[in-house]
Amino acid sequence: MRPAEPERLGGVLRALLSHYRRHPWQALFLLAGLVAGVALWSAVQVINSHARASYAEADYMLGAQATHWIRSRSGAGVAPADYIALRRAGFRQVFPVVQARVATADNAPLAIVATDLLALPTGDGGEALDEADLDWLAFIQPPYQAWYPAALAQELGVAAGDRLALHDGRRLPPAVIAAREQQGRQILMDVGAALSLLGREHFTALAVGAITPAEAARLVDALPADLQLEANQQRVDLTELTASLHTQLTAMSLLSFAVGLFIVFNAVRFSLWYRRPTLRTLRLMGVSMRALTLAVLAETLVWSVIGCALGLAAGYGISLALLPGMSATLQNLYGAVVGSEVLLDVRTVALAWALTLAGLALALAWPLLLQLRGPVIAANTAAAAWRDDARARRVLLVGAAGMVLLAVAVYWHMRTVVGGFVLLALVLFAAAWALPALLAAAQRGLGRALAGAPLARRWIVSDGRAQLPALRTAMMALLLALTANLGVETLIGSFRTALADWLDQRLGADLYVNSPRLDAPRFVADPANAGWLAAGHARTGVTLRWQGRPAKVYGLDTTTPDTHRLPLATAAPQALARWSAGAGMPPPILANEQAHYLGGLQLGQTVTLPADDGPADYTVVGFFHDYGNPYYQFYLPREALERRWHAVQPTGLALWLTPGASEAAAEAALQAAGVQPGEWSAQGDIKRLSLKIFDRTFAMTAAMNTLTLLVAGAALLTALLAILHERLPEFAQWRALGVTRRELLRVIALPLGLFVGLTWLLAIPLGALLSWLLIHDLNVMAFGWSMPMLWSPLPALKLGLLSAGIVALVLAIVLTQLTRKLPQAMAQLGSAS
Amino acid sequence: MLRFDGVVKRYAQPEGEVTVLAGVDLAIAPGEAVALLGESGSGKSTLLHLAAGLDAPDAGRIEVGGQTLSMLDERALAALRRGTVSLVFQQFHLIGTLTVADNIRFQAALCDRLDPAFEAELVERLGLGAQLDKYPHQLSGGQQQRVAIARALLHRPPLVLADEPTGNLDERSSGAVMALFRELVQAAGSALLMVTHSHGMADYLDRRLWLHDGRLQHAPG
Repeated sequence: MRPAEPERLGGVLRALLSHYRRHPWQALFLLAGLVAGVALWSAVQVINSHARASYAEADYMLGAQATHWIRSRSGAGVAPADYIALRRAGFRQVFPVVQARVATADNAPLAIVATDLLALPTGDGGEALDEADLDWLAFIQPPYQAWYPAALAQELGVAAGDRLALHDGRRLPPAVIAAREQQGRQILMDVGAALSLLGREHFTALAVGAITPAEAARLVDALPADLQLEANQQRVDLTELTASLHTQLTAMSLLSFAVGLFIVFNAVRFSLWYRRPTLRTLRLMGVSMRALTLAVLAETLVWSVIGCALGLAAGYGISLALLPGMSATLQNLYGAVVGSEVLLDVRTVALAWALTLAGLALALAWPLLLQLRGPVIAANTAAAAWRDDARARRVLLVGAAGMVLLAVAVYWHMRTVVGGFVLLALVLFAAAWALPALLAAAQRGLGRALAGAPLARRWIVSDGRAQLPALRTAMMALLLALTANLGVETLIGSFRTALADWLDQRLGADLYVNSPRLDAPRFVADPANAGWLAAGHARTGVTLRWQGRPAKVYGLDTTTPDTHRLPLATAAPQALARWSAGAGMPPPILANEQAHYLGGLQLGQTVTLPADDGPADYTVVGFFHDYGNPYYQFYLPREALERRWHAVQPTGLALWLTPGASEAAAEAALQAAGVQPGEWSAQGDIKRLSLKIFDRTFAMTAAMNTLTLLVAGAALLTALLAILHERLPEFAQWRALGVTRRELLRVIALPLGLFVGLTWLLAIPLGALLSWLLIHDLNVMAFGWSMPMLWSPLPALKLGLLSAGIVALVLAIVLTQLTRKLPQAMAQLGSAS
Repeated sequence: MLRFDGVVKRYAQPEGEVTVLAGVDLAIAPGEAVALLGESGSGKSTLLHLAAGLDAPDAGRIEVGGQTLSMLDERALAALRRGTVSLVFQQFHLIGTLTVADNIRFQAALCDRLDPAFEAELVERLGLGAQLDKYPHQLSGGQQQRVAIARALLHRPPLVLADEPTGNLDERSSGAVMALFRELVQAAGSALLMVTHSHGMADYLDRRLWLHDGRLQHAPG
């Protein structure tokens, strides 16, 4: 570069950027688009990477990743003496765990988990707990401490030092509010404190940290007869398990980024329009293409840094706001607990900047460079703008056709969730790219239909043609936002209905009990309960691993009402009858849909499960719905389960009351049998809680949807303001011809209303297609459960009203601007400028 | 038809307030055609804008067709511009999305004064017969200005205000358009106040005024 070049470049850059000093609102729009896009994208990135970091941390959480458990064969628990003997024998990886469910004085269920912190092996919580900056000595000595996660303490209204009262009057040790939240809704305390609080003499189990096969063999030899070592089948890879959800969120955030880019496109179009004379003058003055290109690239860089920095700051704020919803989703779907402190990492910042640069290159640098490559004196008329617009529409339409073809090809070869999202993106963007041509065709068609109408009416319709170039990108953004909203709303609505129906079918009993102290078969058979008890269903189960994931095999009573009405998604003929009778070889088994869609199991296929006495083969005769479960699950008749697995655990008891019997009688009987409050739930409570959890789970999706729609609204505002500023002299001339303000507003508003209305109409079938793909393909691939699609006109009507509201708001802003700027524009009419 | 009594107009500038019109008195009779000459920046366009009610004076009184503009609200001013006053500018400001025929009828349709016979006469005399179904961007500058003239005259407004109406045209076209414009204004029975730099254009009109130092003077013919 010659010595004078930097100075010349500086001058060119100053000339280019001086435009924004004169028109700060254009800089504001450009930034608004960038910030909106980067903010929503980075918010999801921050949440995703934070969640992944939490999973890694959760790996260290107490017992969560224990490789083995030592449990009592009789179910009596592990005596402290046995534990001490094992430690003395050199097994430093072994640590005690006490788990219990209790209820607060207000009957809120709580989980207590206790261990000996000093015995935790390094890497199983030690380092993580060090950070908590808590007083270990106070934790392990009377009066002890109860560590609450901050969110739980807030929910229960517990302050530091409080001793929470339980339902039976006992009090927990003084509360310490811990910053760490990986313990979820569990209250952590010392084993000594827990045993004394619960009045127990035995630990629930011993957890075993990382251990070599040789050490495991030595450990088995060292165990007393009543204790057995079992692999921790519940160990899960949360990162793998939640991958689909994170992919979905990333896809949504990329959609938001794309919608944000539409604002940038609008703002750039606007600034290009205004800077044509400057660029022309610079080129006439002999500024080289090279200097102009470098200046354009430098401008892009400047905007990318500012937009990215502000977007990341806003994204951080949004991520903090969205995190509770995300935490709820992860906890409800996967049991994964995510902390509340989020941090931006270098990877997110670098990715955000790269994405911003790419977006700006597409929206700003490319059009600017194209303009530079054109003739120095180009036609600068509305007619030229329409010609350009018509050409752009044709290009977009051809692109849309290409995307449709690609989408069809992807659909036939779609195997993964990512492939599914590529398909959705192709469908959405094909529609968005085809939209301008459709709107132009509709405007032309309406113009032809109104050929004989009064001039004023034809004028309004014809003006749509002048508005379309500026509205094009805003309408595309609106279509994307409306379609995504409709698609996701239909998905959520269908899912909620399916879940509610499923709960109604599944939860036929009046009470559900889950207590380790209850001998369920004996309780059901007890004649003393006959007065109020119509039927009872005691289920048992074992946890094993199937296809690398934890799987549960339940033993069901084939005679109870819920088993008779078991809702099956797909089933062989007479499936339930064959399954109950155990007819056929191999014997029949029922599996959840996840085993079908995610595990690849087919109806009639043989599944082999690891039983105590070797592999056990079963024929799959049906798949049952199992919403919200990330794991595989199988049902066998109870006797069939207990024939092949000996260490089955009780997994719950369902109770049907005789008509007229009171719940109080049942509860009294349960308490008499040793069940503690909090260990049973009424049917209605479970349904309500399930639906509440569902709503919380989808709170983040709803929030993202709303934000995307707001971004589309902002795109509409920038487009209309662009129209206002570009056409202000024309509007002033109309006013000079005697057009009233109301007529002027009608000319602006009615074509806009027509375009928004058509966009909304197009979004309805497109949203239905999107939800169909989400429900029938994406959802099944991501979560492994199916449901009928329920289309309701309500979300479409709601969005229609919302769009009308946004248009009204945008028009009100434009009208205010018009009122402010028109007098000056009218005063300048006819001036030679 | 148009009357200015002691009209004053000032503008705030960074260097202080500038008085553009310093007590202008003016009277134009119905059907009279007056040229307004003056140096650049002398306030000619300002005077025209005040006459059209596009701007308001700081002092003085303006009457158009017997109506005092300061007494009219926004709606009445729009109605005045629609039916009583027609404006013709150097920029043609045609509605690009409407055909030439629709552009010609636009203002007459707004005030419900369509006149097919006069429309045919205007179209014929302005040589626009072959252009009626075209759109403005398909016309030359001279043709576009003819459309703007037809639009301004079709509803026979009592007053036509023109600001350099031939400013965008070459000298030869300017003369031809101006002659036609003058004739058609007369045919419409309108009064005309035309701002121009050109003494040649002013020759087409009945009398000429010179705006200097914010005041009007009669200019020699």
